[in-house]
Amino acid sequence: MNTKMHGLVQTEWRWLIAIYLWLAGAGGGAFLTGIYASYAGWEGVAKIGSVLSWPLVGIGCALLLLDLGKMQNAWRVWMKPGTSWMARGTIIISLFMILGFIHSLLIVLGVFAPGDPAALALAIVTGIFAFATMVYTGLLLGDAIPFPFWNTVLLPILFFMSALSTGVMLVILGGSVAKMGGLMAVGEENLHFLASVDVAFILAEAGVLAAYLYGAYRLPISRHSAHWALMGDGAAMFWGGVAVCGLALPLIIDVIPGLPLAAAALAALLGLLGGLFLRMVVLSGGAHYPMYVNSWAFKPVSVPKLPKPDRGMVPPGNI
Amino acid sequence: MPRYGMVIDLKRCYGCYGCVTACKGTNHTPPNVFWSRLLKGESGKYPNAIRQALPILCFHCEDPGCVKVCPTGATFADEDGVVVVDKDICVGCKYCLMGCPYGARYIVEDYESYFPDGLPETELEKHAKATFEERSGMGVATKCSFCAPRREEGKEPKCVSTCPANARIFGDLDDPTSEITILVRQSRGFVLKPEQGTEPKVYYLPPR
Repeated sequence: MNTKMHGLVQTEWRWLIAIYLWLAGAGGGAFLTGIYASYAGWEGVAKIGSVLSWPLVGIGCALLLLDLGKMQNAWRVWMKPGTSWMARGTIIISLFMILGFIHSLLIVLGVFAPGDPAALALAIVTGIFAFATMVYTGLLLGDAIPFPFWNTVLLPILFFMSALSTGVMLVILGGSVAKMGGLMAVGEENLHFLASVDVAFILAEAGVLAAYLYGAYRLPISRHSAHWALMGDGAAMFWGGVAVCGLALPLIIDVIPGLPLAAAALAALLGLLGGLFLRMVVLSGGAHYPMYVNSWAFKPVSVPKLPKPDRGMVPPGNI
Repeated sequence: MPRYGMVIDLKRCYGCYGCVTACKGTNHTPPNVFWSRLLKGESGKYPNAIRQALPILCFHCEDPGCVKVCPTGATFADEDGVVVVDKDICVGCKYCLMGCPYGARYIVEDYESYFPDGLPETELEKHAKATFEERSGMGVATKCSFCAPRREEGKEPKCVSTCPANARIFGDLDDPTSEITILVRQSRGFVLKPEQGTEPKVYYLPPR
């Protein structure tokens, strides 16, 4: 498909990039959850967090490679870290995946004794890269200065909070599946505790999201993006996918006491899907603002995908 | 070394799309790819409504947003100040499409036909496709280069020489006696989206 930028709205980065941003965030969050679990002494949860984290980021990277127009040049992205957040992020996620692989291998093999300082050092270094992976997805979009919907300081914070909450949900989901399928010994009370912690993360994410959209709506140059998400064509995905599926339902399920583990797993699954929809809403809402000459707004007329004209008919042109 | 720039006089431009088609004919861009395009703006209400055309191309900025985000250094300003893409280095990540405030960049992943389905590919179409692939490359960022192949022959960019209203003037911004420097200085030249800080080298003269 030919990519075009006639319209104000960007149409180049779609689901592949959204899934990548989502997996990178959730993977980093799951790793941090696993680190917490290992120092809380929850062996099963710690293993799940570490083992789930880097493969998911790897799947995301594979999707990112698929999105490239010229894959045989992909190695060049590692060569110039000074240029942009895409180059720096590539190095960050590569190091995170390598360190995460080593960490999970050592944890699964049981090399580390409890309280081993080497384990702590590796966990801290990998944790820093996990944190950087979570934040960088927001910085990547935030560096696109022409898109006022992305170019805000709240976006990295929003993506970090979402990554944290989806990371915890990923561990809950993985732990529940492992527990219910009898694959691994995972403490059920630990997963319930994580679900209650996730309530705080969901609330914080909702707060940052509200501030983000309020700020976008107040700013005239990004109002059409916020309008698109809240009241326009993106409203179904935002209200249905992000607000209800990703925030409200997991919150309600997690605060009701005494529910079985399956309920926590369902809440985690819904929240994870909500994280994907959040990335997609932010990506699809990215839009230029019109060019002004003498206070006249010049809005590019986006050329819709025209049906192939009948033979002999002159194809309609631009505008 | 010159520092190429352009002046577009909005008083003269009447929106004939001549530059758009001339660019297409010269650079053989596929459908839906417009290195040179035209926007139309309206203001006022009947009977005092005014319609104004605004031709857009790559502005070859001094501090380009696309160069700032490129992760490989594939896009850069050459010695003439013209922002170019090295098609052998570009990875096609589309980040520069996000970094450009003017939407001047395109990525062509497959060269669609201009003609309806079922018609055989003509010789001209094969030539256009081959030329575009050789000059700009597929799957990488492509953009206006101020007609680099024509400048090598000592000609002006095609959109300039084709403009029937002489609304476009091409020249060296570093030369204080060139026509465009004088026009920008004396006729209140301005640029689009100056708040983006990209310092475009394509100036506009006010519509009235």
